[in-house]
Amino acid sequence: MKSRKLIAVFSVFVMALALWVPNAPAADKVLKIGVIFPLTGPVATAGQRCVAAVETAAEVINNAHPEFNVPLAAQEGILGGTKIQLVVADHQGKPDVGKSEAERLFNQEGVWAIIGSYNSAVTKPASAVAERMKRIFLSGCSSSAALTERGFNYFFRFAPTDKTESHEFVEYIQWLNQNQNAGIKTIGLIYENTEFGKHAADEGKAAAKDAGFEVVADVPFNPGATNLNSEVQTLKAKNPDAVFGACLGGDYTLWVRTMKQMNWLPKAALNYCTGYQDPKIAQQLGPDGDFFMGGTGYSPEIGAKYMPDVAAVEKIYSAKVGGVPFDSDAIQEAVALLVLAQAIEKAGALDVEKVAQILRSETFDSPLSLGGKVAFGPGGQNMKATSIITQLHGGKYMPVYPESYAEMAATVPMTPWDKR
Amino acid sequence: MDTFAQVVLDGLLTGMLYALVAAGLSLIWGVMDIIHFAHGEFLMVAMYLSFWLGFLAGVDPIVSWIASGVFLFLLGALAYRLVISRCIGKSAMPPLLATFGLSLFLKNLCMNRFSPNFRILQDTLLQGKTFMIGGVVVGLPQLATGIFSLVMLGALFYLIKKTRLGWAIQATAMDREAAELMGIHTDRIYLLVFGLGGACVGIAGGLMTSYLAVHPEVGSLFGLIAFLIVALGGFGSIHGALAAALIIGLVEALAGFYIAPVFKYVAVFAIYLVVVMVRPRGLFGW
Repeated sequence: MKSRKLIAVFSVFVMALALWVPNAPAADKVLKIGVIFPLTGPVATAGQRCVAAVETAAEVINNAHPEFNVPLAAQEGILGGTKIQLVVADHQGKPDVGKSEAERLFNQEGVWAIIGSYNSAVTKPASAVAERMKRIFLSGCSSSAALTERGFNYFFRFAPTDKTESHEFVEYIQWLNQNQNAGIKTIGLIYENTEFGKHAADEGKAAAKDAGFEVVADVPFNPGATNLNSEVQTLKAKNPDAVFGACLGGDYTLWVRTMKQMNWLPKAALNYCTGYQDPKIAQQLGPDGDFFMGGTGYSPEIGAKYMPDVAAVEKIYSAKVGGVPFDSDAIQEAVALLVLAQAIEKAGALDVEKVAQILRSETFDSPLSLGGKVAFGPGGQNMKATSIITQLHGGKYMPVYPESYAEMAATVPMTPWDKR
Repeated sequence: MDTFAQVVLDGLLTGMLYALVAAGLSLIWGVMDIIHFAHGEFLMVAMYLSFWLGFLAGVDPIVSWIASGVFLFLLGALAYRLVISRCIGKSAMPPLLATFGLSLFLKNLCMNRFSPNFRILQDTLLQGKTFMIGGVVVGLPQLATGIFSLVMLGALFYLIKKTRLGWAIQATAMDREAAELMGIHTDRIYLLVFGLGGACVGIAGGLMTSYLAVHPEVGSLFGLIAFLIVALGGFGSIHGALAAALIIGLVEALAGFYIAPVFKYVAVFAIYLVVVMVRPRGLFGW
C-alpha cells in the first residue's frame, strides 16, 4: 500500500516536472529578449497588441518565410539558427513596476535586450535600468521626445516623437489656412495628465506659439475619468479653431461622444498617437469618429499603397488579435525586433557593444516602416521615422498631408454633428 | 448664464447617476458594516451584460437595464452566499479581503473572457440625442439615467422606510442579535441586502452602456466615488446618498469648469476630507 502511494506521488512529481520543462530548443541556440508592456490596466489593449506585434516579428525571424519580402524572413533564426525567445512582462502602466520588471528580466530571466514599454512614463525608468547595466533597450512607440534627449548610448526609439508630430500639425494647419482657407487662428489642447499627455501638450503649445497661433485652451484631465463634461465645456467656452488631442483608449471615445452631446466641434481636431489610431475604436465610433485627424505611421490603406510587404506579415499578427490589422503603435514594436535581429546578424555575435555600435551607425532596411528605412541619430532617435496626417472617413484612415501622400483634401471645417 | 446653467445641469445629472451607483453600497455598508470593494466591478459586469445584450441580441440599454438589475441581484446574492457569509461575525479584515479578492477575480475574469478592448454600443435609441432648453443642451441618455436613478432611489427609500421588510432591514442594521430575538431571519436579510446592492449598481451599469465605453477598468473610479458618497451621505442612508451624490456631482462640475478640469476630483476628495474631520458619521448617517 505504502509503495503504491510512493509510486503515485513519484508519478505526479514526474508529470509536473514534464509540464514544467519548457519545450524550447537547446539553451545555446536561444536568444532571450524581454518584452515589457501594459498587459493589464487602462491601456492593456494597446499593450497586448504590442506584444502580439513583437511575437509576429519573432515568428518571422525564427521560421523560414521565403515568401515574405522582409529581412531575415527567408532563413531560420539568426547567427546560424539561434531562435528568438520572448520573455513577456506586464508593467500595468506603472513606472515603478516597469523599472522592477526590467531589473527582473535582466537579472533573473537573463534576457539579452528589452523591447518596451508603450507608456513613455514607464519607458523612462525601465530604459534607465538597461542603460545602467549597459544593455540594449528598444522602444517602438513611446513618443515623449525627452526619452531621446537623455544622451543614452543603449536606448533606441523607432516612432516619431511628439515634438515631430507637433511641428507637423502646425505646418499642416498653416497649409490648410493657405490652401483651403481654413481660417484657423486659435489652438486648444486636451490631454491626459500623464508623462505622455503633458509632454505632448508642451510640445504642441510650443510649436503653436512659435508659428504665431494663439493657444486659448489648455485642458488636462485624469485618465479613466467618469465623464469629460467639464473638459469639453471648457473647450466649448474657449472655442478654439483647432484642437490637439492626446486621449488614449476609452477616454478618446468619451471625449468624442461628449463633444457630440454638447453639440460642439472645432474646425479641425488633430490627435497624437492615441485612441484615434486604434482601428477598433474608429470602427466602433462609426460616423461619430469621422473627420477627426491624427498622425499615422500605418493603416491598411497606407500599407496597401506605400508598404506592400506588410500585408503578408499582418496576417500572422491579425490572427493573434482577433482580426485587427496593425496600428501605428504596434507595428513599430515589430520593427524594433526585426531591426535588432538585423544588427545582431551584422555583428555576427551576441556582443552588446558591437550590436549597439551597429545600431548607432548603420541604416537598416525596414519594409514595415513608412519610408522603408531605419537609422538612428544622437540619443537613439530614428531619424527616418515618418508619419503622415490622416483623416477618418467611413472608418478609413485617408492620407491628407503631406501633399506627396495626400489622397484627398481634408474636410475642414469638420462636418457638424447634426449634418452627418 | 447659459454656461453656468449647463455646468449645473451636467453636475446634477452626473450626481444622479452617482447616487444610484452609491445607493447599493450605502445599503450594504450601513446594514452589514462591510466595505464592498467589488462594487465598481459589479458595475463593470452589469455594463458588459448590457453591452452583450445590445451587441448580440439588439436589446437597447433602455430595456436591458432590467436584465442587468436582475442578474446583478443574483450575482450579489450568490457572492453573499459563497463568499461574504463566511466572513460575517469575524473581524473587519476577512470581509475586506474577501471583497477585494472578489473584485480582482471579476476584473481579471472579464479581462480574460472579453479582452481589455473598449467596447461601445452603436445606434442605441438614446445615443447622441439631445434637446435644448434655452441655451442649455440636455443629453437624453444622461437625462434618462438621471430620472431612472431618482425613481429607483425613491423605490428603495420606500422599501426601507415604509415596508415591514425595510423595518426588518433597519432592525438588523441596528442590532443583529436583538433582531434575531424578534424573529427576523438576519441571514436572509443580509442576502437580500447584498442582492439589492447589486441590483442598484446593475441598473446603473445597464443604463450607462448607452453612452460610456465598456472595459474591465471602467468600474474602478465609479467604485471609489461611491465610497466617498456613502461616507459623505452617511452609512446606510439612501437620501443621504442622493444628497451627497448631488453635492459631489455639482462640486465636480463647478470645480472642473471654474477652477480647472484637472482639479475636479481634487475638489471632490477635499470636500470628503473636510466632512470626515467635521462630521465623521456623514450628513445623514444612522
